[in-house]
Amino acid sequence: MAAPEVHHLFHNPIADHSFSPDKSTLAVARDNSVELYEKSGSKFSLSDELKGHEKTVTGVDIAPSSGRIVTCSQDRNAYVWERTSSGWKPTLVLLRINRAATFVRWSPSEQKFAVGSGARVIAVCYFEEENDWWISKHLKKPIRSTITALAWHPNSVLLAAGSTDSHARVLSSFIKGVDTRPEPSAWGERLPFNTICGEYLNDSAGWIHGVSFSPSGNALAFTGHDSSITVVYPSAPEQPPRAMLNVTTRLLPFNSLVWNGENEIIAAGHDCEPYRLRGDESGWQLAGTIENKSGHGADTAREESALHMFRQMDLKGQTQADIQLKSTHQNTISTVRPYEETDGVLRKFSTSGVDGRVVIWTV
Amino acid sequence: MSTSLRPYLQCVRSSLSAALAISNFASQTSERHNVPEIEAASSPELLLNPLVISRNSDERTFIEPSVNSVRVSLKVKQADEIEHILVHKFARFLTQRADAFLILRRKPVEGYDISFLITNFHTEAMLKHKIVDFVIEFMEEVDKEISEMKLFLNARARFVAESFLTPFD
Amino acid sequence: MAQLNYRTINIDVLDPDSSINFPMDTLLPATLPAPTTSSAAAAVAGEVRQLLRGGDPEAALRHVLDTAPLGGDERAKEVHLAAVTEVLQGIRQGEMSRVLEGVCTGEGGAGRADCLMKYLYKGMASPVSNQTPRKSVSPQNTGFSQIQGRNLGEGGGGQQMSVLLSWHEKLVELVGTGSIVRVMTDRRTV
Repeated sequence: MAAPEVHHLFHNPIADHSFSPDKSTLAVARDNSVELYEKSGSKFSLSDELKGHEKTVTGVDIAPSSGRIVTCSQDRNAYVWERTSSGWKPTLVLLRINRAATFVRWSPSEQKFAVGSGARVIAVCYFEEENDWWISKHLKKPIRSTITALAWHPNSVLLAAGSTDSHARVLSSFIKGVDTRPEPSAWGERLPFNTICGEYLNDSAGWIHGVSFSPSGNALAFTGHDSSITVVYPSAPEQPPRAMLNVTTRLLPFNSLVWNGENEIIAAGHDCEPYRLRGDESGWQLAGTIENKSGHGADTAREESALHMFRQMDLKGQTQADIQLKSTHQNTISTVRPYEETDGVLRKFSTSGVDGRVVIWTV
Repeated sequence: MSTSLRPYLQCVRSSLSAALAISNFASQTSERHNVPEIEAASSPELLLNPLVISRNSDERTFIEPSVNSVRVSLKVKQADEIEHILVHKFARFLTQRADAFLILRRKPVEGYDISFLITNFHTEAMLKHKIVDFVIEFMEEVDKEISEMKLFLNARARFVAESFLTPFD
Repeated sequence: MAQLNYRTINIDVLDPDSSINFPMDTLLPATLPAPTTSSAAAAVAGEVRQLLRGGDPEAALRHVLDTAPLGGDERAKEVHLAAVTEVLQGIRQGEMSRVLEGVCTGEGGAGRADCLMKYLYKGMASPVSNQTPRKSVSPQNTGFSQIQGRNLGEGGGGQQMSVLLSWHEKLVELVGTGSIVRVMTDRRTV
């Protein structure tokens, strides 16, 4: 396994990151602005800054084919940025929400994007030609708390949402005139706007931090604050799911997850390193960490306890050695994204976290 | 140091590391605000079940977790009135300088001697495991400090009494 | 009351849509067992005592955790907590690891581990029965007395707590911090 490619950009938290399709541009959300980094050699250097938000930026996403960047922030706004000859030009999106926007993702069709918010709604935004404006429609009904994560189904109609009310939901965001009628699937046949195709709750509750559809769209995985990952296989519309498999782990909660093919999930979070889960409809299991630090694991543990002993003896011994964690990320990982994939199977994925690092891992 | 201190601190350490899984979270009750939810307590679903870790009836740690903040309250051992006074003075000294301590709460939670308020901004700016280390170290030190102060006070009282009585020898 | 102070009314509480009125029962899963009563809990306690006396602490712990009254009333939970505490105190220090390994593996083992973790925290949170009212904050006892001793950290209930703490340590070793996280998130309290 190749060593991960680490880019330590700065010492602030990265709320979200996104690569352009050719991987030459990297957009990261830092405080109140979004910074664009260009690849030069093996390094990324700052090239541009998208300024306009007044509060912490919570989400950024680059549309793969159009190159448009959408950002959202705790100041309740979202902007769509387009590259013009004189630089990046923002267009305000009419979100009509009165609380923080928490998460944003383009639909695979790039005709729409969804913005999660603390106002207990999801704004599904699309472009209206007549007014030359991005306007939104709200998904509202069963949501009882802040939306924390969103994921699009490959058909661009179904939307998975995780919320702090501990439920993961699958909703329809069908908009007439924008979307083509989707093929009927196990999630539903007729899908008018705001159809609830599924609502899932773990036994031990816990806020949902990350949701993701499998590459085929026929399974949903979500991770909650109860340190578990749940995979749902729907059976038929309006029916209870065929299987709902809950994997509880001994780790701290995961924040984000991606599928690697239909039988593998990669998740990362408060333990500062990515983990791999494997399984299928009959059961899922934690397969272990992706990070390769097995070489001197036992050694460092002994070193640490000796160090601890010294600290016990000396009032405040030199604690230099344990300031650094053994993992690549030095703080919570907040986002995991696919980096390079073919037909849903990952070759590389990228993570970003509170420590200001963006890391590209080889699977 | 009593033998039961180690499991107690170990328990506080693991509980605290579990509770400190917090992230940036904007208020869903007031517009454009970002407040520690454990203090605002405006949405019950954002608060988790609090944990109590006790070594005995006089020494307790109370951990109240929420989505973006954790409140840790300590009750320091007070065997008698002198220790009670010492702990009170010690806590007062610290809380008056709460700004310099960053994570110290200005007022302890009711029933406890000293409280820390750790928010996501602290875990972002500082290493999480070092914050846990700090709290644990603080708990060790406070115990030692109070015992030392009491011994010192007793010695001083004896000295004062002796020298007060010497002229009448 | 003519002198009602309207400024002090928290109007958010009156709005059913306000987030302070979040319906907490929506966080309980549909699989929650039916409420049990204190008499049922007492019966379980009896069975558990029998198992413990029969020299099978592992079965006793397994049984008492499987029958936790997640949906019961306060009284039933209290009775059950007493039963759990009794089992935990009835197992010798040397046997802890072996018993835990037996109880927390196999079918439903993870659930039992989480349940035990809940009981450990609940046990530490519940007020201990103070043997003697020794909080003697009176003007006579000034603390200068050398005879009274400095009470080396062994206040009331120290014994019981140290049992719970060593169980906690062993359990964390076995099932990790994830279990503690689930104690915090799980709304099915014991």
